[in-house]
This record gives sequence, structure tokens and C-alpha cells, in this order.
Amino acid sequence: MSRAGSTAALAAVTVALGAVAAALPWLGVSSYVRTLVYYACYYMALGQAWNLISGMTGYVSFAHGALAGIGAYATVIALNAQWPVAAGLAAGAAAAGLASLVIGATSLRLRGAAFTFATLFFQELVLLIVRKLPAAGGPGGLVLQEIYPTSLPYVLMVVLAAVATIAVAALRFSRTGVRVLAIKHDETAAVAIGIDSTRLKVAIFCASAAIAGLVGSIHAIFVGSLFPDVVFAVEISLIALAVPLIGGVGTAMGPVVGALLYVGMREVFQVVAPGLHLTIVGLLILAVVLFMRDGIVGAAARAWATRRRTAVPAEGG
Amino acid sequence: MALVEARAIEKRFSGVVAVKDVDLLVAEGELLGLFGPNGAGKTTMFNIIAGAVRPTAGAVRFRGVDITAVPAFRRARMGIGRTFQVVRPFRGLTVMENLMAAVPSAAARDGRPADLAALLRGVGLEKRANDPAAALTLGMLKRLEVARALALSPQLLLLDEPLAGLSDRECADMLQFVATVRRSITIVMVEHNVHLALPICDRAVVMDAGSIIAEGTPGEIRKNPAVIRAYLGEDAA
Repeated sequence: MSRAGSTAALAAVTVALGAVAAALPWLGVSSYVRTLVYYACYYMALGQAWNLISGMTGYVSFAHGALAGIGAYATVIALNAQWPVAAGLAAGAAAAGLASLVIGATSLRLRGAAFTFATLFFQELVLLIVRKLPAAGGPGGLVLQEIYPTSLPYVLMVVLAAVATIAVAALRFSRTGVRVLAIKHDETAAVAIGIDSTRLKVAIFCASAAIAGLVGSIHAIFVGSLFPDVVFAVEISLIALAVPLIGGVGTAMGPVVGALLYVGMREVFQVVAPGLHLTIVGLLILAVVLFMRDGIVGAAARAWATRRRTAVPAEGG
Repeated sequence: MALVEARAIEKRFSGVVAVKDVDLLVAEGELLGLFGPNGAGKTTMFNIIAGAVRPTAGAVRFRGVDITAVPAFRRARMGIGRTFQVVRPFRGLTVMENLMAAVPSAAARDGRPADLAALLRGVGLEKRANDPAAALTLGMLKRLEVARALALSPQLLLLDEPLAGLSDRECADMLQFVATVRRSITIVMVEHNVHLALPICDRAVVMDAGSIIAEGTPGEIRKNPAVIRAYLGEDAA
């Protein structure tokens, strides 16, 4: 099957699964299962956002939790000011996108670890600012004044996860995607063939941040209240990174597999070993890095390719 | 008008003069060989034309336009393609994707994008189109890098040590390919292996200690006492 065909097939399967997941509230499925599906989609979408910049360009971000947090705050402030829901969500995406320009326009001009350090610094800086900002409710946080039906953020998160997955798959095999990956593999050579690497990295980071902001916006409607220490916890940025790392960095399916695995494990370990789930995720990342450097999806693809190569002569003979 | 006109070029690296007061003209359609022993300044001069290094003094013009301060990516878009001494393929991408990455956007160019399949056939890699670049041998990677530079549809192709690390057979293949390509494009080739590379050049420039010591046809270069001295020592001249 051609790559365009594979992308189309992945998009069709994603749309079908997304439609089934989005219909669950009306199919009599328990709220426990719906919550699990919601969180799987939440981490999937956030993982795809991280994947877009870090998986595709190799520039590692530790700010995706903070970007989602900015989206969440912007949306709650907008909705409390009686903005329509669509405008509130757009405000969240735009706020995170603009915030990404602050980091990207400066640190993405440089190569190496400057961007990673800038995102780490940004994560802490945003928490400090939000704690002091009266408009953001200070340390006490903000509460969404209107209560929305839980099916609204649920359906929106499922749709966002599906759209983000299809977008990453489509980008991966497009000309732009190939040029972004060229930056990851060798930025000097990429520049030598006419790629404006700074501009492309900033644009991709901005798109990635907008998705992260939208994830935060929808989640704000889901939870209804924002506390800065929770919203801007480093843990969220770490999970945004862990999900694609476990599933497969730079692939559309990586964050899907990673998110399902993470949410499943979290449920199990919250019962078996409460409070240890992040430690276990850390051990899992270590195992993946040691034994499956390109994640579960990458390792499975390689095993499949090896099997096909060895099967061909056998069939021929 | 010369395709490339570099005037009074000087480059210092922390006080060390790598290139001093060099004038280099490249005529449209020619294959210019840039030769010299280690530390001669030829690679620095090459990188100054490619935009990877900015000169301390002097100016570089391409088609009459001053490109001294133009960044490398923009020079590539203007029509300057290059290869690297140590190959720099996009190892995780397929051979075809390596070429796809270099094709200019339709908006950036008036002409049709290069025929990538024909380019791969030209360098003998058509059967490896869907293999990752990481799976290729050094000789194949060198050819892939030339094809990638050609995918830009450049007016000037800069070849940095295209024969380095290749076997005799691979050198012969590469030189044959360069000889084919030169019919439609201007080439500047930096090469250590003067004996192999000089015969296919229209003109050659020899540098030593940051300055040009000789220039002329291959025949003139072979007989030039300054060149013989630079390569073989004082006694040989």
C-alpha cells in the first residue's frame, strides 16, 4: 500500500473509532469507562501536540503542560466573560500559540539544548506569574461559572485526539513533513537545501502549542475549576513527553499506543501501588529507551519489516 | 558577467588567517576545480560561496547580486546547491524522501520541479528509492548527496571532496557522473585527489596558505612550478 493509501486508511480507522468513542455517552456506557476514554484521548491529543514539535524536529519540549495550562486559563476567563464556547476554545488555542512564540522566536534560532532549557524555564515562570496574577485568581485559582454537560468536553476531546492523530499522519508523509524531519536528522544539511529551519520550527511549535492549548481549554470545561499548582504541575509536561516516547516518537500511532498504555497502567497501579504510577512510567520509559529506541510502534514496524524480508525468499522458493 | 564573483575575500578564525585577499571568478557553464594541500583555505573559500561561513572582509556576488550577507538557505533557493566533505544524508528518511526534501516549492520557482526518479536513475539509486538512507554505502551516500543538491535545480553546484573515501571504481563512477552533469550546470569542485579530478576540469585554481598561487587550464596547472612546489616541496620545483 502506498504512503498516501496508508495515511488514508489510518484516517478512516481513526474517524471510525473516534465516532464510536464519541457516541459512548449515548450508548449507555458507564461513566467510569467514559472517563477512561476521555483521559486516553486527553493524553493522546497532548502527546500528539508534543510529537508535532519534538517528535518531528528533535527539539525536546518540557512546556506542553504549561501551554495546556495557558489554554485552560484563557478559556475559563473568556467563558466567564460570557464568550460563546467556540470563541472561548479559540482563545485558549490562540493564547498558547502566542505564548509559544515567546519561547520559539528566541530559543529556536539556536541549535542544541537552548530550546529545551527555555521550555523548562517557561514552565516554572508561567506558574509563578499565574500565582501572582489577580485576573487568573492568584494561588486560589479560577472556577468556571457556568456548568456544561460532561458530554460536551468528552466529545470535543475525542474529536481533538482524532484530528490531531490524522494531522500528524498527514504531515509525516507530506513534503512539509519530510522537510521538518530533515531538520531533525541534520539541520546543517537541511539549511543547505533551502530549508528556513528557524521559521519552520517556530511555525510547527506554534501549531503544536495551539493543539496543547486546545487540550487545556477542553479539559478546563471538563474539570470546571483551575488551581495553578495542579494545572501547571511539571507532571503533565512529563506525561506529554512520556506518551509518545513509549508509543513511538515521530509516528502518528505512537501517542495513541502510548496514551492507551499509560491510562491503562495508571488505572492498574493506582490500585496495586498507589502514588507509584509515575515511577513505573519512568521505569517503562527506561525499558523502552534501552530495548526499543523508537518506541513500541517503531519496534513493531521493524519486526514486521524483518518478517516480510525473511518471508519473501521462502515464498519464492 | 561571471556567475560567481568573489572579490578581496579574507577570513580570519580567532586571529588565524585562513583566506587572504582572494579574488575568485566562476564563469557560467564551466567546471572549476579548486585544489590545494591541507590548510590551503580551499574549503573555507568553498564555504564562503555556499554561505556556511561569512568572510571577515570582501564581497561575494552571484549573478551580479551581492550575497555576502545572505544566509545559506536563501542561497540554496537562489540556485546554489552543495554537497559535504563528510556526507550528511537524512539517515532516517528514505532515499526518495532525501530528494523530496530538497525540491523547491512551486511558489519559489517558475520551472517544473526536478524529475526525482530521473535523478535517482542518474546516480544509479533507482532500486534503493524506498530504502532508508542509513542503509546505503558511503559511495551511494556520496551519489545521493549529489542527487539531493541537483533536486534543487541549482545553477551552481558546489562539490566538496566528492571522491573522498571512495574506491577506485566508485571514483570512476562519480567522475563520469560529474562529467555528465556538467553539460547543464556550472560546477565548483574542491578535491584532494588532483590526479583524478584535474582532467575533467575546464579550469583550475590552486590555493596554498590562504592565497591563490595558480590558475589556468589543467595543462597549465600541471606545469606550474608554484603548484609543483606546493604539493611536492621546494626541491621538486
